[in-house]
Amino acid sequence: MTDLSQSPAGAAPRKHGGSLLEKTPHTRKRNAAETRFKAYGIAAITAGLIMLLVLVTTIVGKGTGAFQQTFVTLNVELLEAKLDKKGNRNIEDIKKVTTFGYAPIIKGAMEAAVAELGIETSLKSKELAGILSKDVAAQLRDFVIANPDQIGQTVEFRFLASSRVDGYLKGRVTRDSIVNDKNISAEQLDLVDALAAAGVLEKTFNLDFITGADASDARPEAAGIGVSMLGSLFMMLVVLALALPIGVAASIYLEEFAPQNWLTDMIEVNISNLAAVPSIVFGILGLAVFINYMHLPTSAPLVGGLVLTLMTLPTIIISTRASLKSVPPSIRDAALGVGASKMQAVFHHVLPLAAPGILTGTIIGLAQALGETAPLLLIGMVGFIASNAPETLADGLLAPNSAMPAQIYEWAKRADPAFYERAWGGIIILLIFLVTMNTLAVILRRRFERRW
Amino acid sequence: MNDMTLMENTVDTQNIKISAKDVNVYYGDSHAIKDVNVEIEDKTVTAFIGPSGCGKSTFMRCLNRMNDTIGTCRVQGDILLDGEDIYDKRVDPVQLRAKVGMVFQKPNPFPKSIYDNVAYGPRIHGLARNKAELDEIVEKSLRRGAIWDEVKDRLDAPGTGLSGGQQQRLCIARAVATEPEVLLMDEPCSALDPIATAQVEELIDELRNRYSVVIVTHSMQQAARVSQKTAFFHLGNLVEFGPTGQIFTNPEDPRTESYITGRIG
Repeated sequence: MTDLSQSPAGAAPRKHGGSLLEKTPHTRKRNAAETRFKAYGIAAITAGLIMLLVLVTTIVGKGTGAFQQTFVTLNVELLEAKLDKKGNRNIEDIKKVTTFGYAPIIKGAMEAAVAELGIETSLKSKELAGILSKDVAAQLRDFVIANPDQIGQTVEFRFLASSRVDGYLKGRVTRDSIVNDKNISAEQLDLVDALAAAGVLEKTFNLDFITGADASDARPEAAGIGVSMLGSLFMMLVVLALALPIGVAASIYLEEFAPQNWLTDMIEVNISNLAAVPSIVFGILGLAVFINYMHLPTSAPLVGGLVLTLMTLPTIIISTRASLKSVPPSIRDAALGVGASKMQAVFHHVLPLAAPGILTGTIIGLAQALGETAPLLLIGMVGFIASNAPETLADGLLAPNSAMPAQIYEWAKRADPAFYERAWGGIIILLIFLVTMNTLAVILRRRFERRW
Repeated sequence: MNDMTLMENTVDTQNIKISAKDVNVYYGDSHAIKDVNVEIEDKTVTAFIGPSGCGKSTFMRCLNRMNDTIGTCRVQGDILLDGEDIYDKRVDPVQLRAKVGMVFQKPNPFPKSIYDNVAYGPRIHGLARNKAELDEIVEKSLRRGAIWDEVKDRLDAPGTGLSGGQQQRLCIARAVATEPEVLLMDEPCSALDPIATAQVEELIDELRNRYSVVIVTHSMQQAARVSQKTAFFHLGNLVEFGPTGQIFTNPEDPRTESYITGRIG
């Protein structure tokens, strides 16, 4: 849409003789084209903003539920007759009682609570306990093993309600939707209403979602993203420790020292190509090299980190080279001119000036790696990995773990809608991390931007 | 300084500092410098003049091996500094550049403080044993760069914040700080206004007392004002080399005369 193409062919050349107060048809046409173009631009931006808005509202709308969970507060009498028949508090004997052994205690506690609150119900004790999570027995057993001295006492506990009850309070489960549901009945929901009215059952903020581990299909209410967050953290440590030094060293060599010949040209082209390789290919490479050949453990964040390092390297190299290139050659000349060696010129002058760009590129590379799922599929980091939080560095690197995006994918493909909600919640957390990292990159760039 | 008065040629008994013999420079296939022979004297200002692309900058950059940074550049012939071939395999170009300092066309202070700009060279060459000595070198160099009085109260201020002329004098001070014996200046005033130019020219005249100065310039008046010897380059050839007064008043080669009178270039 240039002016030239719009001037009518064969028309007599215009003179600039007319009044300036009057627009010529040619000018009017040009101005109209300009206005139209601006309108297209604004329309494009508006479309983008609307999509972003829809995305954010969907994520927030569907995901915030995951941060709240329904809890039931109960007084539980830890009966000695059930938990420690010999009565000598031998920890080995106590450990012999399985979670099945705790079922009567939970039933009893529920019955007692219902009786105490004066709630009338025809439900049997087993159905009463059915509104609690299947995780409760394990929670109780862990408590007793940790505090054997409490056996025989009555202790107040905060138990997770089952995911159906939780869904009922969040509006996901209704009395209509449970007609064919074997896990919960209308009577149980009546009980839930009564307990909620009495303040025993309430929906509160759930820190365990942020700090906890994944849970099996039967206990969506107990699942948390915390452990996979640690998995991501350890992977990022590996990526940072490997990709940054390797990437920066490679870039400095290529940009400042390498002779210009076909070999370096080849390397340059291939680095650019690597950046465009689909990430699943890096996963296959990781499986073949790190697991099948080097026999590193599967599902380990160390392997995940190595794979993501391969994926992040091109990004870091490209951005580092770009920021090295943007340092004006006059700075190098100045340093060489006063008798600095090439290395001194690079390390004393060029690198400090390029550092903000390098940092920005690294953070963006890390953010990219943090959100990556596909390469993790092949090294066994996507799936149900209900490990506990690692306690040592070696554990964190080598013990099986998942990663945040992998965890989200895992939840999204499970059947129970309660997991679906957690997937959206996980997306919120992941996005918070990514937005924070990208903001940091922008701030760094602004803060250290230099002019010369 | 008056444009038209030429420096008296008072340097005929000086020692030869740099002597170039049959120097040829190639950039890839193109022959940039052809058989140049020149002798640069100590404590003298030697000006290289000539039209753009004639090779004067290229030749000057051979004198401290700055051309080494250009991969395709090849230098043949001998360039002797105090009788030693600077292109000998045993010569470390970094050590050479400490001896042959350089000031560039565009002022290029490091984006650091004024103090650090000047102190950088002495630091990397280990010229100062302690802070006091370094302070002394910095002050001395800034005085020689004729900028001390303007910046002595703000040595911590960034060098890039100075005006163009001040920046260039800072760069000269920086070059002087490493105690070079030869100072190469590649069109040092082309980015400066007339007042800053006059200050730098005055400075060059003072620097002559200590160093052998080589200056590349596009301005014939400048060459006439500051130099004692002038070399005229044309298309990679050294056309004429002699005392400045003679080159400007009585050139031997018709090409020199054409250039000086404005007919070529």
